[in-house]
Amino acid sequence: MRKRMLVLAVTVLFVVSIMLAGCAGGGAVGTLQFHANGEDFVRQGFVSKDGWSINFDHVYITLADITAYQTDPPYDPHTGGNINGKVTVSLDKVYTVDLAEGGEDAPPILVDEVPDAPAGHYNTIFWRMVRATSGPAAGYSLVIIGTAEKDGQSVDFTINVEEECEYSCGEYVGDERKGILEESGTADLEMTFHFDHIFGDAETPPDDELNLGAPGFEPFADAAEGGKILNMAELHLGHVGEGHCHCECH
Amino acid sequence: MHMKWRIIVSLICILAIGLVLPMKVFAHGAKIEYTVSMVIELVAAYDNGEPMAGAQFVVYAPDDPSTPWLTGVCDDEGRFSFTPDTSKPGIWDVKVRQAGHGDIVHIPIGEGAVAASGTGGYTTLQIGLMVACVVWGSVGTALYFSSRRRA
Repeated sequence: MRKRMLVLAVTVLFVVSIMLAGCAGGGAVGTLQFHANGEDFVRQGFVSKDGWSINFDHVYITLADITAYQTDPPYDPHTGGNINGKVTVSLDKVYTVDLAEGGEDAPPILVDEVPDAPAGHYNTIFWRMVRATSGPAAGYSLVIIGTAEKDGQSVDFTINVEEECEYSCGEYVGDERKGILEESGTADLEMTFHFDHIFGDAETPPDDELNLGAPGFEPFADAAEGGKILNMAELHLGHVGEGHCHCECH
Repeated sequence: MHMKWRIIVSLICILAIGLVLPMKVFAHGAKIEYTVSMVIELVAAYDNGEPMAGAQFVVYAPDDPSTPWLTGVCDDEGRFSFTPDTSKPGIWDVKVRQAGHGDIVHIPIGEGAVAASGTGGYTTLQIGLMVACVVWGSVGTALYFSSRRRA
């Protein structure tokens, strides 16, 4: 009888230990931040390929299904395809961000953060650009409001984009590596938006691929619905720093 | 006779010492040594095919993805090469940047190369408990059948 009680007690102890260990979640965690960045093009303005000096009052972009992955092998945005992550961290909300917020020297916009993200190297990020359901960009995925000047002429413009896009991006490319999260540390990922891909850049040679593909500002100067001029899939607005994204729009 | 054995033993000792001690030998010998090393060659170009002449490159080793392992500049044809440390198998990351353009490639090196990053899986405690469960289950099963046999 005593032997049976001993066996039963040890078994119960094992079961309870397993349950507690399983509930512990396991593994090191830290804080993973997600930033959106329109770069100096948006914050400080620039001169388009066709000579218009553009300054932005607001650039509203609406982002959803923002997800960071640890992938092995690393995801290749040049080939596209599904992202197979060993570890996945997602933001559940839809965010409308003003990329022009904060002035000329503002840092990238903090969209949100996950305080208990598993540690490791997040080398892939995905997000959707979707139509906002409320707020200043309601009905549109991208709203660009600003002023363009050329040869004494000044144009106040608003460009509304209805097209929705998905961006599957590889690793961030910049001065430093991002997304390397250590236990109890903080790491960040950045969704970068290159608006020189829309308007071109006067500081880049006219025959550069960037300027050859960009509409410039001239088509928007008189257009009533400038957003319909843009083919977002071809413009490759979304990047990760200088790193590339696979883009699908509809 | 006694003297004869002394001489023989002395000669044997001298011979043994000669074999043990290192001695310089003058001869026309040769010695060849070789090492095998892996060289990774890369070519960086823009999307239009133009080489990224003079672009900066940074190499990261698998064991320290935050710290540059090697930095340099591409040649006029956008080419550069490096010899990875094969004692560090895994994914070697190479970043190339110039004039606001850049890219990063991931090169698996070494036998059974695996990525240095990533988490997931079981903790040491969970693994220990699983092992203990299997052992306990085996012991219990053995005790059960042995008690049945005795009965």
